[in-house]
Amino acid sequence: MSVIEIKNLTKNYGKARGIIDVSLTVEQGEIFGFIGPNGAGKSTTIRTLLGLIYPTSGSARIFGKCCTTNPEVREDVGYLPSEVFYYDGMRVIDLLRYSASFYKKDCTKRINELAEIMDLDLKKRIDDLSFGNKKKVGIVQGLIHEPRLIILDEPTAGLDPLMQQRFFELIASENKKGATVFLSSHILREVQKMCERVALIKDGRIIKLEKMSELQGNNFKRIKVEGQSDLDKTIFDMPGVSKLENGGKTASFLYRGDINNIIRKLAQTELSNLSIDEPDLEEIFMHYYSKDG
Amino acid sequence: MNMYLHELKSMRKSTIMWTCSMIAIALVYLSLYPAIFSDGAHFKDMLAGYPASIRAVLGVTLDSVTTLLGFYSMIIAFVVLCGGIQAMNLGMSMLSKETRERTADFLLVKPVSRAAVVTAKILAGLTVFLITDVVYYAGASVIASIVKQSSYSGGLFFMINLTLFFVQLIFFAIGAVVSVFFDRLRSVLPVSLGTVFGCYIIGALVAAGKDDWARFISPFRYFDYSYIIQNSRYETPYLATGAVIVIVSVVTCYFVYARKDIHAVS
Repeated sequence: MSVIEIKNLTKNYGKARGIIDVSLTVEQGEIFGFIGPNGAGKSTTIRTLLGLIYPTSGSARIFGKCCTTNPEVREDVGYLPSEVFYYDGMRVIDLLRYSASFYKKDCTKRINELAEIMDLDLKKRIDDLSFGNKKKVGIVQGLIHEPRLIILDEPTAGLDPLMQQRFFELIASENKKGATVFLSSHILREVQKMCERVALIKDGRIIKLEKMSELQGNNFKRIKVEGQSDLDKTIFDMPGVSKLENGGKTASFLYRGDINNIIRKLAQTELSNLSIDEPDLEEIFMHYYSKDG
Repeated sequence: MNMYLHELKSMRKSTIMWTCSMIAIALVYLSLYPAIFSDGAHFKDMLAGYPASIRAVLGVTLDSVTTLLGFYSMIIAFVVLCGGIQAMNLGMSMLSKETRERTADFLLVKPVSRAAVVTAKILAGLTVFLITDVVYYAGASVIASIVKQSSYSGGLFFMINLTLFFVQLIFFAIGAVVSVFFDRLRSVLPVSLGTVFGCYIIGALVAAGKDDWARFISPFRYFDYSYIIQNSRYETPYLATGAVIVIVSVVTCYFVYARKDIHAVS
Protein backbone atom coordinates (compact mmCIF):
# COMPACT_ATOMS: atom_id res chain seq x y z
CA MET A 1 0.00 0.00 0.00
CA SER A 2 1.28 3.43 -0.93
CA VAL A 3 1.55 6.07 1.77
CA ILE A 4 0.12 8.73 -0.50
CA GLU A 5 -2.04 7.88 -3.46
CA ILE A 6 -3.43 10.70 -5.56
CA LYS A 7 -5.55 9.67 -8.53
CA ASN A 8 -6.78 12.01 -11.27
CA LEU A 9 -7.26 14.73 -8.71
CA THR A 10 -8.96 17.86 -10.03
CA LYS A 11 -10.02 20.91 -8.11
CA ASN A 12 -11.72 23.93 -9.66
CA TYR A 13 -12.20 27.17 -7.83
CA GLY A 14 -15.10 28.54 -9.79
CA LYS A 15 -13.46 30.11 -12.79
CA ALA A 16 -9.96 30.10 -11.36
CA ARG A 17 -7.74 27.12 -12.08
CA GLY A 18 -6.90 24.85 -9.21
CA ILE A 19 -5.29 21.57 -10.18
CA ILE A 20 -6.08 19.33 -13.12
CA ASP A 21 -5.80 15.57 -13.25
CA VAL A 22 -2.96 15.22 -10.77
CA SER A 23 -1.84 11.64 -10.13
CA LEU A 24 1.06 10.51 -8.03
CA THR A 25 1.99 7.93 -5.44
CA VAL A 26 4.50 8.10 -2.65
CA GLU A 27 5.85 4.88 -1.18
CA GLN A 28 6.75 3.97 2.38
CA GLY A 29 10.04 5.50 3.53
CA GLU A 30 10.45 7.72 0.52
CA ILE A 31 11.35 11.41 0.45
CA PHE A 32 9.26 12.81 -2.32
CA GLY A 33 9.78 16.25 -3.80
CA PHE A 34 6.99 18.36 -5.18
CA ILE A 35 8.30 21.30 -7.15
CA GLY A 36 6.69 24.13 -8.98
CA PRO A 37 6.55 27.88 -9.08
CA ASN A 38 4.21 29.82 -6.79
CA GLY A 39 0.60 29.36 -7.74
CA ALA A 40 1.19 26.13 -9.66
CA GLY A 41 -1.12 24.15 -7.39
CA LYS A 42 1.24 22.69 -4.78
CA SER A 43 -0.73 23.89 -1.79
CA THR A 44 -4.05 22.97 -3.38
CA THR A 45 -2.80 19.41 -3.83
CA ILE A 46 -1.60 19.22 -0.25
CA ARG A 47 -4.75 20.74 1.20
CA THR A 48 -6.90 18.29 -0.70
CA LEU A 49 -4.72 15.46 0.51
CA LEU A 50 -5.17 16.61 4.11
CA GLY A 51 -8.91 16.98 3.76
CA LEU A 52 -8.93 20.76 4.16
CA ILE A 53 -10.56 21.15 0.77
CA TYR A 54 -12.74 18.78 -1.19
CA PRO A 55 -11.76 17.57 -4.66
CA THR A 56 -13.95 18.37 -7.65
CA SER A 57 -13.12 14.91 -8.97
CA GLY A 58 -10.57 12.19 -8.37
CA SER A 59 -9.25 11.05 -5.02
CA ALA A 60 -6.43 11.68 -2.59
CA ARG A 61 -5.63 9.01 -0.04
CA ILE A 62 -3.23 8.68 2.85
CA PHE A 63 -2.43 5.15 4.04
CA GLY A 64 -5.24 4.02 1.77
CA LYS A 65 -7.82 6.24 3.42
CA CYS A 66 -9.38 9.56 2.60
CA CYS A 67 -8.88 12.25 5.26
CA THR A 68 -12.40 13.60 4.97
CA THR A 69 -14.16 10.32 5.59
CA ASN A 70 -11.53 8.88 7.94
CA PRO A 71 -10.12 11.81 9.86
CA GLU A 72 -8.34 9.40 12.21
CA VAL A 73 -5.67 8.69 9.57
CA ARG A 74 -4.30 12.14 10.38
CA GLU A 75 -3.13 10.60 13.65
CA ASP A 76 -0.05 9.56 11.68
CA VAL A 77 0.40 12.74 9.69
CA GLY A 78 2.53 15.74 10.58
CA TYR A 79 1.89 18.86 8.56
CA LEU A 80 3.91 22.04 8.37
CA PRO A 81 2.06 24.78 6.47
CA SER A 82 3.98 27.40 4.55
CA GLU A 83 2.79 30.10 6.91
CA VAL A 84 2.03 29.34 10.51
CA PHE A 85 -0.56 31.11 12.63
CA TYR A 86 -1.50 30.22 16.15
CA TYR A 87 -3.99 31.22 18.79
CA ASP A 88 -3.37 34.56 20.43
CA GLY A 89 -2.27 34.76 23.99
CA MET A 90 -0.83 31.26 24.23
CA ARG A 91 2.66 30.38 25.27
CA VAL A 92 4.65 28.04 23.05
CA ILE A 93 4.41 25.22 25.56
CA ASP A 94 0.62 25.65 25.91
CA LEU A 95 0.19 25.40 22.17
CA LEU A 96 2.41 22.34 21.92
CA ARG A 97 0.55 20.66 24.77
CA TYR A 98 -2.74 21.48 23.12
CA SER A 99 -1.45 20.06 19.86
CA ALA A 100 -0.19 16.93 21.67
CA SER A 101 -3.58 16.44 23.30
CA PHE A 102 -5.02 15.44 19.93
CA TYR A 103 -2.80 12.40 19.69
CA LYS A 104 -2.93 9.22 21.66
CA LYS A 105 0.71 9.41 22.70
CA ASP A 106 2.56 11.10 25.50
CA CYS A 107 4.60 13.73 23.70
CA THR A 108 6.21 15.57 26.63
CA LYS A 109 9.67 14.12 26.12
CA ARG A 110 9.50 14.71 22.41
CA ILE A 111 8.49 18.35 22.88
CA ASN A 112 11.59 19.01 24.94
CA GLU A 113 13.86 17.15 22.53
CA LEU A 114 12.57 18.99 19.50
CA ALA A 115 12.61 22.36 21.22
CA GLU A 116 16.24 21.81 22.02
CA ILE A 117 17.14 20.80 18.48
CA MET A 118 15.31 23.77 17.00
CA ASP A 119 16.53 26.12 19.74
CA LEU A 120 13.02 27.18 20.71
CA ASP A 121 12.10 28.97 23.93
CA LEU A 122 9.01 27.17 25.24
CA LYS A 123 8.05 29.80 27.77
CA LYS A 124 7.65 32.67 25.31
CA ARG A 125 4.27 33.88 24.17
CA ILE A 126 3.64 33.02 20.55
CA ASP A 127 2.48 36.56 19.74
CA ASP A 128 5.92 37.85 20.66
CA LEU A 129 7.81 35.49 18.36
CA SER A 130 9.38 36.53 15.07
CA PHE A 131 8.30 34.92 11.83
CA GLY A 132 11.23 32.50 11.88
CA ASN A 133 10.56 31.49 15.45
CA LYS A 134 6.89 30.93 14.74
CA LYS A 135 8.00 28.65 11.96
CA LYS A 136 10.06 26.70 14.45
CA VAL A 137 6.95 26.28 16.58
CA GLY A 138 5.28 24.93 13.46
CA ILE A 139 8.08 22.44 12.88
CA VAL A 140 8.03 21.16 16.44
CA GLN A 141 4.24 21.08 16.42
CA GLY A 142 4.22 19.02 13.24
CA LEU A 143 6.66 16.45 14.58
CA ILE A 144 5.77 15.94 18.26
CA HIS A 145 3.61 12.91 17.66
CA GLU A 146 6.29 11.16 15.57
CA PRO A 147 4.14 10.94 12.46
CA ARG A 148 4.69 8.22 9.88
CA LEU A 149 4.04 10.75 7.14
CA ILE A 150 5.48 14.25 7.21
CA ILE A 151 4.01 16.78 4.81
CA LEU A 152 6.02 19.96 4.36
CA ASP A 153 4.78 22.94 2.41
CA GLU A 154 7.60 25.43 1.70
CA PRO A 155 9.18 24.49 5.02
CA THR A 156 12.25 26.69 5.10
CA ALA A 157 10.75 30.09 4.36
CA GLY A 158 11.73 32.37 7.21
CA LEU A 159 14.38 30.09 8.71
CA ASP A 160 17.98 31.22 8.82
CA PRO A 161 20.58 29.00 7.05
CA LEU A 162 21.72 27.36 10.28
CA MET A 163 18.17 26.44 11.22
CA GLN A 164 17.45 25.28 7.70
CA GLN A 165 20.32 22.87 7.98
CA ARG A 166 19.19 21.62 11.38
CA PHE A 167 15.72 21.27 10.06
CA PHE A 168 16.83 19.12 7.15
CA GLU A 169 18.96 17.00 9.46
CA LEU A 170 15.91 16.53 11.61
CA ILE A 171 13.77 15.52 8.67
CA ALA A 172 16.50 13.15 7.44
CA SER A 173 16.68 11.49 10.86
CA GLU A 174 12.89 11.11 10.96
CA ASN A 175 13.12 9.54 7.53
CA LYS A 176 15.77 7.11 8.76
CA LYS A 177 13.41 6.11 11.55
CA GLY A 178 10.90 5.20 8.88
CA ALA A 179 8.87 8.32 8.23
CA THR A 180 7.79 9.08 4.71
CA VAL A 181 8.33 12.69 3.66
CA PHE A 182 6.41 14.76 1.15
CA LEU A 183 8.31 17.98 0.52
CA SER A 184 6.78 20.77 -1.48
CA SER A 185 9.03 23.62 -2.47
CA HIS A 186 10.02 26.06 -5.13
CA ILE A 187 13.58 26.02 -3.88
CA LEU A 188 15.31 23.39 -5.98
CA ARG A 189 18.38 23.14 -3.85
CA GLU A 190 16.33 21.77 -0.95
CA VAL A 191 14.61 19.20 -3.07
CA GLN A 192 17.80 18.20 -4.84
CA LYS A 193 19.55 17.50 -1.56
CA MET A 194 16.78 15.51 0.03
CA CYS A 195 14.54 13.79 -2.42
CA GLU A 196 14.64 10.48 -4.21
CA ARG A 197 11.80 11.22 -6.56
CA VAL A 198 10.25 14.45 -7.70
CA ALA A 199 7.12 15.64 -9.41
CA LEU A 200 7.16 18.92 -11.28
CA ILE A 201 3.89 20.80 -11.33
CA LYS A 202 3.04 23.69 -13.58
CA ASP A 203 -0.26 25.49 -14.13
CA GLY A 204 -2.07 22.85 -12.13
CA ARG A 205 -0.73 19.85 -14.03
CA ILE A 206 2.05 17.40 -13.27
CA ILE A 207 4.48 17.84 -16.14
CA LYS A 208 7.16 15.41 -15.00
CA LEU A 209 7.40 12.67 -12.43
CA GLU A 210 10.78 11.07 -12.20
CA LYS A 211 13.54 9.70 -10.04
CA MET A 212 15.89 12.44 -9.03
CA SER A 213 18.81 10.43 -10.35
CA GLU A 214 17.22 10.13 -13.78
CA LEU A 215 16.12 13.69 -13.89
CA GLN A 216 19.60 14.78 -13.06
CA GLY A 217 21.86 12.13 -14.52
CA ASN A 218 20.60 10.31 -17.53
CA ASN A 219 19.20 13.16 -19.42
CA PHE A 220 21.58 16.04 -19.30
CA LYS A 221 25.28 16.73 -18.92
CA ARG A 222 26.82 20.11 -18.47
CA ILE A 223 29.98 19.99 -20.60
CA LYS A 224 32.78 22.55 -20.63
CA VAL A 225 35.65 22.34 -23.06
CA GLU A 226 38.77 24.38 -23.56
CA GLY A 227 40.64 24.05 -26.83
CA GLN A 228 44.35 24.57 -27.49
CA SER A 229 43.34 27.03 -30.16
CA ASP A 230 40.08 28.68 -31.05
CA LEU A 231 37.30 26.10 -31.25
CA ASP A 232 35.58 25.30 -34.48
CA LYS A 233 31.90 26.12 -33.97
CA THR A 234 30.71 23.40 -36.33
CA ILE A 235 31.75 20.59 -33.98
CA PHE A 236 28.90 21.55 -31.65
CA ASP A 237 26.48 21.49 -34.48
CA MET A 238 24.85 18.19 -33.58
CA PRO A 239 21.60 16.92 -32.04
CA GLY A 240 21.39 17.04 -28.22
CA VAL A 241 23.44 20.17 -27.75
CA SER A 242 21.68 23.10 -26.19
CA LYS A 243 22.47 26.33 -24.43
CA LEU A 244 25.79 26.66 -26.23
CA GLU A 245 28.02 29.43 -25.03
CA ASN A 246 31.04 29.73 -27.23
CA GLY A 247 33.82 32.22 -26.62
CA GLY A 248 37.01 31.60 -28.56
CA LYS A 249 38.94 28.81 -26.88
CA THR A 250 36.20 27.84 -24.46
CA ALA A 251 32.71 26.52 -24.88
CA SER A 252 30.02 25.35 -22.49
CA PHE A 253 26.76 23.60 -23.25
CA LEU A 254 24.11 21.12 -22.09
CA TYR A 255 24.17 17.76 -23.79
CA ARG A 256 21.38 15.22 -23.91
CA GLY A 257 21.76 11.91 -25.73
CA ASP A 258 24.32 9.14 -26.21
CA ILE A 259 27.46 10.25 -24.45
CA ASN A 260 29.68 8.37 -26.97
CA ASN A 261 28.59 10.57 -29.82
CA ILE A 262 29.73 13.73 -28.19
CA ILE A 263 32.97 12.16 -26.97
CA ARG A 264 33.82 11.01 -30.49
CA LYS A 265 33.14 14.48 -31.78
CA LEU A 266 35.27 16.09 -29.11
CA ALA A 267 38.07 13.63 -29.71
CA GLN A 268 38.62 15.12 -33.15
CA THR A 269 39.74 18.37 -31.55
CA GLU A 270 42.88 19.08 -29.59
CA LEU A 271 41.63 19.99 -26.11
CA SER A 272 43.49 21.42 -23.18
CA ASN A 273 40.69 20.86 -20.70
CA LEU A 274 37.36 19.07 -20.42
CA SER A 275 34.80 18.82 -17.67
CA ILE A 276 31.53 16.93 -17.62
CA ASP A 277 29.18 17.70 -14.75
CA GLU A 278 25.73 16.88 -13.60
CA PRO A 279 23.68 19.94 -14.31
CA ASP A 280 21.94 21.26 -11.24
CA LEU A 281 18.24 20.90 -10.96
CA GLU A 282 17.73 24.57 -11.61
CA GLU A 283 18.92 24.18 -15.17
CA ILE A 284 16.70 21.19 -15.79
CA PHE A 285 13.85 22.91 -14.14
CA MET A 286 14.18 25.99 -16.30
CA HIS A 287 14.41 23.72 -19.29
CA TYR A 288 11.04 22.12 -18.52
CA TYR A 289 9.34 25.31 -17.63
CA SER A 290 10.53 27.38 -20.55
CA LYS A 291 9.93 24.64 -23.10
CA ASP A 292 6.18 24.58 -22.68
CA GLY A 293 5.75 28.22 -22.61
CA MET B 1 -12.70 17.36 25.47
CA ASN B 2 -9.42 19.13 24.75
CA MET B 3 -11.03 21.34 22.12
CA TYR B 4 -13.94 22.09 24.44
CA LEU B 5 -11.61 23.17 27.23
CA HIS B 6 -9.47 25.18 24.85
CA GLU B 7 -12.55 27.04 23.60
CA LEU B 8 -13.78 27.69 27.13
CA LYS B 9 -10.40 29.08 28.09
CA SER B 10 -10.28 31.39 25.11
CA MET B 11 -13.71 32.82 25.97
CA ARG B 12 -13.01 33.31 29.66
CA LYS B 13 -12.38 37.04 29.61
CA SER B 14 -15.26 38.02 27.38
CA THR B 15 -17.64 35.89 29.44
CA ILE B 16 -16.67 37.67 32.64
CA MET B 17 -17.18 41.03 30.92
CA TRP B 18 -20.59 40.16 29.53
CA THR B 19 -21.77 38.69 32.82
CA CYS B 20 -20.64 41.74 34.76
CA SER B 21 -22.31 44.14 32.33
CA MET B 22 -25.58 42.25 32.52
CA ILE B 23 -25.55 42.22 36.30
CA ALA B 24 -24.69 45.93 36.22
CA ILE B 25 -27.79 46.64 34.12
CA ALA B 26 -29.95 44.78 36.62
CA LEU B 27 -28.25 46.52 39.54
CA VAL B 28 -28.68 50.03 38.14
CA TYR B 29 -32.33 49.61 37.25
CA LEU B 30 -33.41 47.52 40.23
CA SER B 31 -31.83 49.99 42.62
CA LEU B 32 -34.43 52.49 41.38
CA TYR B 33 -37.22 50.14 42.37
CA PRO B 34 -37.69 51.17 46.03
CA ALA B 35 -38.10 54.82 44.99
CA ILE B 36 -40.54 53.92 42.24
CA PHE B 37 -42.51 51.71 44.60
CA SER B 38 -42.86 54.39 47.26
CA ASP B 39 -43.98 56.89 44.63
CA GLY B 40 -45.99 54.36 42.63
CA ALA B 41 -48.98 56.50 41.83
CA HIS B 42 -46.90 59.30 40.33
CA PHE B 43 -44.83 56.88 38.34
CA LYS B 44 -47.96 55.27 36.92
CA ASP B 45 -49.38 58.71 36.07
CA MET B 46 -46.20 59.64 34.28
CA LEU B 47 -46.19 56.41 32.24
CA ALA B 48 -49.88 56.76 31.51
CA GLY B 49 -49.02 60.10 29.92
CA TYR B 50 -46.95 58.24 27.31
CA PRO B 51 -48.71 57.09 24.16
CA ALA B 52 -49.75 53.46 24.39
CA SER B 53 -47.41 52.51 21.55
CA ILE B 54 -44.38 53.89 23.37
CA ARG B 55 -45.39 51.95 26.46
CA ALA B 56 -45.63 48.83 24.36
CA VAL B 57 -42.18 49.45 22.88
CA LEU B 58 -40.73 49.81 26.37
CA GLY B 59 -42.59 46.72 27.54
CA VAL B 60 -44.55 48.60 30.21
CA THR B 61 -47.76 47.15 31.58
CA LEU B 62 -49.39 49.89 33.67
CA ASP B 63 -51.21 47.60 36.11
CA SER B 64 -48.15 45.66 37.20
CA VAL B 65 -45.28 48.09 36.67
CA THR B 66 -44.98 48.91 40.35
CA THR B 67 -44.74 45.26 41.38
CA LEU B 68 -41.26 43.87 41.47
CA LEU B 69 -41.92 41.32 38.72
CA GLY B 70 -43.66 43.87 36.53
CA PHE B 71 -40.82 46.29 36.92
CA TYR B 72 -38.25 43.55 36.41
CA SER B 73 -39.86 42.41 33.17
CA MET B 74 -39.10 45.88 31.82
CA ILE B 75 -35.45 45.55 32.83
CA ILE B 76 -34.99 42.02 31.61
CA ALA B 77 -35.70 43.25 28.07
CA PHE B 78 -32.40 45.17 28.14
CA VAL B 79 -30.55 42.25 29.69
CA VAL B 80 -31.93 39.92 27.04
CA LEU B 81 -30.82 42.35 24.33
CA CYS B 82 -27.34 42.34 25.84
CA GLY B 83 -27.37 38.55 26.15
CA GLY B 84 -28.59 38.22 22.56
CA ILE B 85 -25.60 40.19 21.32
CA GLN B 86 -23.26 38.06 23.41
CA ALA B 87 -24.78 34.85 22.10
CA MET B 88 -24.81 35.86 18.46
CA ASN B 89 -21.22 37.03 18.76
CA LEU B 90 -20.26 33.69 20.23
CA GLY B 91 -22.14 31.75 17.62
CA MET B 92 -20.64 33.69 14.76
CA SER B 93 -17.09 33.79 15.97
CA MET B 94 -16.57 30.27 17.26
CA LEU B 95 -16.25 28.56 13.88
CA SER B 96 -15.21 31.53 11.77
CA LYS B 97 -12.32 32.48 14.00
CA GLU B 98 -10.32 29.48 12.84
CA THR B 99 -10.24 30.87 9.32
CA ARG B 100 -10.12 34.50 10.40
CA GLU B 101 -7.16 33.97 12.68
CA ARG B 102 -5.78 31.44 10.24
CA THR B 103 -5.55 28.64 12.74
CA ALA B 104 -7.66 26.26 10.65
CA ASP B 105 -4.46 24.76 9.23
CA PHE B 106 -3.62 23.76 12.77
CA LEU B 107 -6.93 22.48 14.04
CA LEU B 108 -8.40 20.85 10.96
CA VAL B 109 -5.41 18.65 10.17
CA LYS B 110 -5.66 17.03 13.58
CA PRO B 111 -7.14 13.55 13.71
CA VAL B 112 -10.63 14.81 14.49
CA SER B 113 -13.65 15.11 12.25
CA ARG B 114 -15.19 18.45 11.35
CA ALA B 115 -18.32 17.34 13.20
CA ALA B 116 -16.28 16.83 16.37
CA VAL B 117 -14.90 20.35 16.00
CA VAL B 118 -18.41 21.77 15.62
CA THR B 119 -19.66 19.76 18.61
CA ALA B 120 -16.84 20.94 20.86
CA LYS B 121 -17.39 24.53 19.87
CA ILE B 122 -21.17 24.43 20.26
CA LEU B 123 -20.89 22.80 23.67
CA ALA B 124 -18.31 25.37 24.75
CA GLY B 125 -20.56 28.19 23.54
CA LEU B 126 -23.53 26.69 25.37
CA THR B 127 -21.49 26.36 28.52
CA VAL B 128 -20.38 29.96 28.27
CA PHE B 129 -23.82 31.42 28.16
CA LEU B 130 -25.17 28.94 30.67
CA ILE B 131 -22.51 30.14 33.07
CA THR B 132 -23.38 33.73 32.18
CA ASP B 133 -27.06 33.08 32.82
CA VAL B 134 -26.58 31.20 36.07
CA VAL B 135 -24.28 33.86 37.48
CA TYR B 136 -26.60 36.57 36.25
CA TYR B 137 -29.60 34.81 37.76
CA ALA B 138 -27.84 34.51 41.10
CA GLY B 139 -26.85 38.19 40.97
CA ALA B 140 -30.31 39.36 39.97
CA SER B 141 -31.93 37.20 42.68
CA VAL B 142 -29.73 38.74 45.35
CA ILE B 143 -30.43 42.27 44.12
CA ALA B 144 -34.16 41.58 43.85
CA SER B 145 -34.34 40.20 47.37
CA ILE B 146 -32.62 43.34 48.64
CA VAL B 147 -34.83 45.86 46.83
CA LYS B 148 -38.13 44.00 47.20
CA GLN B 149 -40.91 45.82 49.01
CA SER B 150 -43.18 42.81 49.36
CA SER B 151 -42.80 39.13 48.62
CA TYR B 152 -42.78 37.96 45.00
CA SER B 153 -43.00 34.58 43.27
CA GLY B 154 -39.58 33.00 42.96
CA GLY B 155 -40.92 30.62 40.33
CA LEU B 156 -42.09 33.43 38.08
CA PHE B 157 -38.84 35.30 38.63
CA PHE B 158 -37.02 32.19 37.42
CA MET B 159 -39.31 31.82 34.42
CA ILE B 160 -38.69 35.42 33.43
CA ASN B 161 -34.94 34.91 33.70
CA LEU B 162 -35.08 31.68 31.76
CA THR B 163 -36.19 33.65 28.69
CA LEU B 164 -32.68 35.07 28.62
CA PHE B 165 -31.34 31.58 28.00
CA PHE B 166 -33.93 30.83 25.31
CA VAL B 167 -33.26 34.02 23.38
CA GLN B 168 -29.52 33.45 23.65
CA LEU B 169 -29.92 29.92 22.37
CA ILE B 170 -31.78 31.20 19.31
CA PHE B 171 -29.25 33.92 18.50
CA PHE B 172 -26.34 31.59 19.14
CA ALA B 173 -27.73 29.12 16.63
CA ILE B 174 -28.45 31.85 14.09
CA GLY B 175 -24.93 33.23 14.52
CA ALA B 176 -23.39 29.80 14.03
CA VAL B 177 -25.32 29.06 10.86
CA VAL B 178 -24.67 32.49 9.37
CA SER B 179 -20.93 32.17 9.96
CA VAL B 180 -20.53 28.91 8.05
CA PHE B 181 -21.77 30.52 4.86
CA PHE B 182 -18.95 33.06 4.81
CA ASP B 183 -15.58 32.08 3.36
CA ARG B 184 -13.78 34.51 5.56
CA LEU B 185 -15.68 36.61 7.99
CA ARG B 186 -13.40 39.56 8.63
CA SER B 187 -15.26 41.01 11.54
CA VAL B 188 -18.07 39.54 13.57
CA LEU B 189 -19.35 42.44 15.63
CA PRO B 190 -21.00 44.54 12.87
CA VAL B 191 -22.99 41.54 11.63
CA SER B 192 -24.06 40.33 15.04
CA LEU B 193 -24.84 43.82 16.37
CA GLY B 194 -26.80 44.60 13.22
CA THR B 195 -28.82 41.41 13.36
CA VAL B 196 -29.60 41.52 17.07
CA PHE B 197 -30.45 45.24 17.14
CA GLY B 198 -32.43 44.82 13.95
CA CYS B 199 -34.49 42.06 15.57
CA TYR B 200 -34.90 44.11 18.70
CA ILE B 201 -36.16 47.18 16.85
CA ILE B 202 -38.45 45.15 14.61
CA GLY B 203 -39.72 43.41 17.72
CA ALA B 204 -40.36 46.74 19.44
CA LEU B 205 -42.21 48.17 16.46
CA VAL B 206 -44.22 44.98 15.95
CA ALA B 207 -45.14 44.87 19.60
CA ALA B 208 -46.96 48.17 19.24
CA GLY B 209 -49.37 46.54 16.82
CA LYS B 210 -49.55 43.26 18.77
CA ASP B 211 -50.05 41.23 15.61
CA ASP B 212 -49.57 37.63 16.63
CA TRP B 213 -48.01 36.50 13.36
CA ALA B 214 -45.63 39.47 13.28
CA ARG B 215 -44.22 38.43 16.62
CA PHE B 216 -42.65 35.42 14.91
CA ILE B 217 -40.20 37.73 13.12
CA SER B 218 -38.30 38.78 16.21
CA PRO B 219 -37.06 36.30 18.82
CA PHE B 220 -37.28 39.13 21.32
CA ARG B 221 -41.07 38.94 21.04
CA TYR B 222 -41.34 35.21 21.54
CA PHE B 223 -41.69 35.80 25.25
CA ASP B 224 -44.37 38.15 26.47
CA TYR B 225 -43.63 38.89 30.11
CA SER B 226 -47.11 40.00 31.10
CA TYR B 227 -48.39 36.72 29.65
CA ILE B 228 -45.81 34.79 31.65
CA ILE B 229 -46.68 36.63 34.85
CA GLN B 230 -50.40 36.11 34.35
CA ASN B 231 -50.33 32.50 33.18
CA SER B 232 -47.13 31.12 34.70
CA ARG B 233 -46.19 29.54 31.39
CA TYR B 234 -44.67 30.31 28.00
CA GLU B 235 -46.62 30.59 24.77
CA THR B 236 -46.17 27.25 23.05
CA PRO B 237 -46.21 28.36 19.37
CA TYR B 238 -43.35 30.79 19.97
CA LEU B 239 -41.41 28.37 22.10
CA ALA B 240 -41.80 25.79 19.34
CA THR B 241 -40.69 28.27 16.68
CA GLY B 242 -37.61 29.03 18.72
CA ALA B 243 -36.83 25.33 19.02
CA VAL B 244 -37.25 24.83 15.27
CA ILE B 245 -34.90 27.73 14.51
CA VAL B 246 -32.28 26.29 16.84
CA ILE B 247 -32.53 22.74 15.51
CA VAL B 248 -32.54 23.72 11.84
CA SER B 249 -29.63 26.11 12.34
CA VAL B 250 -27.51 23.62 14.21
CA VAL B 251 -28.15 20.81 11.73
CA THR B 252 -27.36 23.12 8.80
CA CYS B 253 -24.24 24.26 10.57
CA TYR B 254 -22.93 20.67 10.90
CA PHE B 255 -23.85 19.88 7.34
CA VAL B 256 -22.25 22.91 5.72
CA TYR B 257 -19.15 23.03 7.89
CA ALA B 258 -18.34 19.38 7.26
CA ARG B 259 -18.29 20.02 3.50
CA LYS B 260 -16.64 23.38 3.50
CA ASP B 261 -13.35 24.10 1.74
CA ILE B 262 -10.81 25.64 4.05
CA HIS B 263 -8.74 27.84 1.81
CA ALA B 264 -5.08 28.62 2.15
CA VAL B 265 -3.83 31.77 3.75
CA SER B 266 -3.63 34.48 1.16
